[in-house]
Amino acid sequence: MSEVEFLGYRREDGSVGVRNHVALIAVDHAGAPVVEGVSKLIRGTTAVSHQYGRLQFGEDLELTFETLIGTGCNPNVAAAVVVGIEPNWTLKVAEEIERRSKKPVRAVHVIGKGTIDAIRDAAKHARELVSWASEIQKEPCKISDLIIGVKCGASDTTSGIASNPVIGVVGEKIIDLGGTFIFGETTELAGGEHIIAERFVDEKERKKFLEVFNRYLEFAKSKGVDIMGSQPTEENIAGGLTTIEEKALGNIQKVPKRGIKGVLKPAERPPSKGLWFMDTSSSAQEQVTLLAAAGASIHLFSTGQGNPVGHQIIPVIKITGNPVTAERMKDNIDVDVSDIIRGKMSVREGGEKVFEFMLKVASGKLTAAEIVRHDNFTINRLYPSM
Amino acid sequence: MAIKKIHLHDEKDNVAVALEDLEPGDKVRVEKGGKEVEISVKERIPFGHKVALELIDAGGKVVKYGEIIGAATEKIEPGEHVHTHNVRSLKFT
Repeated sequence: MSEVEFLGYRREDGSVGVRNHVALIAVDHAGAPVVEGVSKLIRGTTAVSHQYGRLQFGEDLELTFETLIGTGCNPNVAAAVVVGIEPNWTLKVAEEIERRSKKPVRAVHVIGKGTIDAIRDAAKHARELVSWASEIQKEPCKISDLIIGVKCGASDTTSGIASNPVIGVVGEKIIDLGGTFIFGETTELAGGEHIIAERFVDEKERKKFLEVFNRYLEFAKSKGVDIMGSQPTEENIAGGLTTIEEKALGNIQKVPKRGIKGVLKPAERPPSKGLWFMDTSSSAQEQVTLLAAAGASIHLFSTGQGNPVGHQIIPVIKITGNPVTAERMKDNIDVDVSDIIRGKMSVREGGEKVFEFMLKVASGKLTAAEIVRHDNFTINRLYPSM
Repeated sequence: MAIKKIHLHDEKDNVAVALEDLEPGDKVRVEKGGKEVEISVKERIPFGHKVALELIDAGGKVVKYGEIIGAATEKIEPGEHVHTHNVRSLKFT
């Protein structure tokens, strides 16, 4: 497989998408019913809805803006309509998406016209943009064009044995083919942070990683939670995990054994190809949202017990090594690697299975989460509003 | 004496994971360094738990995923259950 290719969408800014959404992005709660309304009226549109964006300030507000702008800039988005309560912030988000990604963006605000007229205005924009976007042709693309995100959730014993190592193997292949891979989950690395730290290729970035990690431990401690001391949990121990190192290593198996280039801020786009760490929470929908805002076009998600998380803009591929989950939650699972647990499949073979599925998804095959509409876009709040 | 399935993550590991419940007297086999090693299970080890593949002295390193996951608090014989009763964390105690 020297010429690994798929059919994707080449965007103006040089990025490559695997979907062709006309995204309807709510800036705040006033935009939410508008984008949801328009998505029901106009075929080919995707609502990115939430209830935040008012009276936030400082770093927390910046992250909300970066998440909305980054989502609009995601390569899976062809064009966007941005809807907010008033013109200033709505235009700020819309203009920034247009400036960074050079894609067509329209802005609509609700004050002075009301929700229904805003739906009418946004629907007219959306109709034109869908007509334009539907003409874009797919082109042959390479793995080096992809930014892939990764996370595990609802993990169990099978995650550390099967689904996480399988993703690690896929990630190594993606990196070796010149692609980009982002992992996060700052807290989940606890106990194995020294192993991740060793893999940074740059001393400055290694220090930055340990700072980010220690800052989080201190923050948790200030709230009365000792992350290091509370692991592994009783449930983990019953499942066979003995120490915090072992638990962390099970999570770390999904990180390719390659040099890590650096630390990304939440929602920050990687400045170059390769393997990157992003400082994120370990909540599935929050982490997927931040990676999508950073430009990830596909997400690989390992699950033991069956976390069904998805995202409206990027396909989230669900991989399980748990035979019971593969059977009972098959509506949510994309790739079953439980034969590893049965001793009938090697980790490498599992990796090949996931890689092939990922190429199909890159060329347009829908994931379980897309089909059942697991549209889990979520704003990450850093602290309360004013 | 059944041959039971276990999973070895890395050739450097001195423990393997039981892929089914192991009973005393069961045999398990792994490939290490190109040759097959057979071990007799000494005690009951549930699915997902670890079995020692070689002798680990008290204070010796327990290796899984090719990395140190802790230290033995007592001597662990091949075929014995490796868990919280005989291993401690080196990160957090």
